[in-house]
Amino acid sequence: MNKKFDKSYRIISNKEICTDYFELKVKAPAAAGYCYPGQFFMISIPGVFLRRPVSIYDVKKDTVSFLYKITGKGTKILSEIKSETIQLLGPLGNGYDLPPNTASSSLKSEKKSPGFSPVIIAGGTGIASVHFLAAKLKTRGTLYYGARSKKDLLCLNKFRKIGWKIIVSTEDGSKGHKGYITNILPENLKSGDTLFACGPMPMLKKILQIAKEKNIRGFASLEEIMACGVGNCQGCAVKIKGQNKMTCKDGSIFKIEDIDF
Amino acid sequence: MKTDLSINFAGIKFKNPVFTASGTFGYGYEIADLIPLKKLGGIVTKTITLQPRSGNPQPRIAEVEGGLLNTIGLQNIGVKAFVEEPLEKLSKIGVPVIVSVAGAVAEEYTETVQILSMQKGISVVELNLSCPNLKKKIICHDLSLMQNIIKSVKKVSRVPVIAKLSPLVTDISELALTAQNAGADGITLTNTYPAMAIDVKNFKPRLSTVKGGMSGACVKPMSIRCVYDAYQRIKIPIIGCGGIMTGGDAVEFILAGAAAVSVGSASLVSPENLIKIIDEIESILKYKNIKSIKEIIGIVKNT
Repeated sequence: MNKKFDKSYRIISNKEICTDYFELKVKAPAAAGYCYPGQFFMISIPGVFLRRPVSIYDVKKDTVSFLYKITGKGTKILSEIKSETIQLLGPLGNGYDLPPNTASSSLKSEKKSPGFSPVIIAGGTGIASVHFLAAKLKTRGTLYYGARSKKDLLCLNKFRKIGWKIIVSTEDGSKGHKGYITNILPENLKSGDTLFACGPMPMLKKILQIAKEKNIRGFASLEEIMACGVGNCQGCAVKIKGQNKMTCKDGSIFKIEDIDF
Repeated sequence: MKTDLSINFAGIKFKNPVFTASGTFGYGYEIADLIPLKKLGGIVTKTITLQPRSGNPQPRIAEVEGGLLNTIGLQNIGVKAFVEEPLEKLSKIGVPVIVSVAGAVAEEYTETVQILSMQKGISVVELNLSCPNLKKKIICHDLSLMQNIIKSVKKVSRVPVIAKLSPLVTDISELALTAQNAGADGITLTNTYPAMAIDVKNFKPRLSTVKGGMSGACVKPMSIRCVYDAYQRIKIPIIGCGGIMTGGDAVEFILAGAAAVSVGSASLVSPENLIKIIDEIESILKYKNIKSIKEIIGIVKNT
């Protein structure tokens, strides 16, 4: 556990899966065995100064995949990368602190945990890190997934295939509930649920508020601009229980009740 | 023929001239599993202050062309916590430790250095007189305050004292000379460059404090100029700092007059760069058939 590598890996594929969204697959035999849901890698992109933090989307044997959206110069260059190899630093971050006996054998133990009711809440590309989480959890649960419009909804089939209940919302109403996913959470969440949330800051703030009101426990994956990804630059500090913590090293997963927004 | 990379800086021997730069190396063990730390020439710590500081709000980092802006705001655990745990771990690496110190007034610097002076495992103190990210003005812009700090720290420090200066001055060689005359045993040139960037998507500054310090490859030629100018005027040795990404960059600084270099942004991009830079310096010297790095310090002159 908690081993990280700074290595060059072979790119297996780097394909557009729908408009502006790409899946990068690399053969990373050194690192694949150490990847845990909620962790990320810093990806070197030629032509931009800093590496980019990208969540682990999936791990299959010695292959690690990333899902990213073109949002600026770095991700644009990444989507057009022609080289055969790519330099990655990782896996980084603490990953989701899963309750005992909830994850498949590669994570913790085999037995199912009674009463564990996972609820994943994803916004936008936040779906990537929770997809890897859902794939590793033994217990099936419910995915609440909000995106801008129908064309921004990803991985629905993958969640369906592994038996998750899916509830979606889109801001333009082109699929599912119209509006933000957080609008429909209060009536649906139960006090015994365990939340796993990954998405934009306003969404996480709203989830924190709902979780507090309904006394529901859970975890949120935070995102800040990072320079190093390992805790050296202290650029990604966040307030956790009144203390400065590094999103990259102490997080990026924090207990929802500990986050001071 | 074995190439000699060792240097003598202010009376302290370093096995090679490549140091980390303050504020880019945490407390020294975040990357211990990625690179052999004992290969480094020296370790400059995160800047330490008398009291803990929580630093500036988010966002603290903005990438620019060829570098980055930061406004960390000297977040640190304070000198008392520093000497309890990180210092002990750092001193076990087996590389000289240079502790970076900052404060608002002379008394804060001296009190911090007094506490450090009671500890083992510190080779040098570097006074950060040039942080651009605090509400007050940059210390070395107030010459009498800077002189006062250097003089009073020199009285209490058991180890050599280096002054880290800001590049944002009209004549860097005058500033370097002032630091030397106040008693500094060496200087570091330079700290980050005060800079700013605006997001045109929302018309807002990209850093919470609006302005920050710029570092990275984009500042290198300006810092080399600072080292060159200062070297012509002062006798105390210089640590060159600013945008060193390769061994070639480091050699440029040394040719301009630096006795050692510190590497910051390049190690944030990839910790391995620290080791590559050391190896590349050695290759360059071998290629040029030079026995010792000391032979090329400041040999580039205006002819």
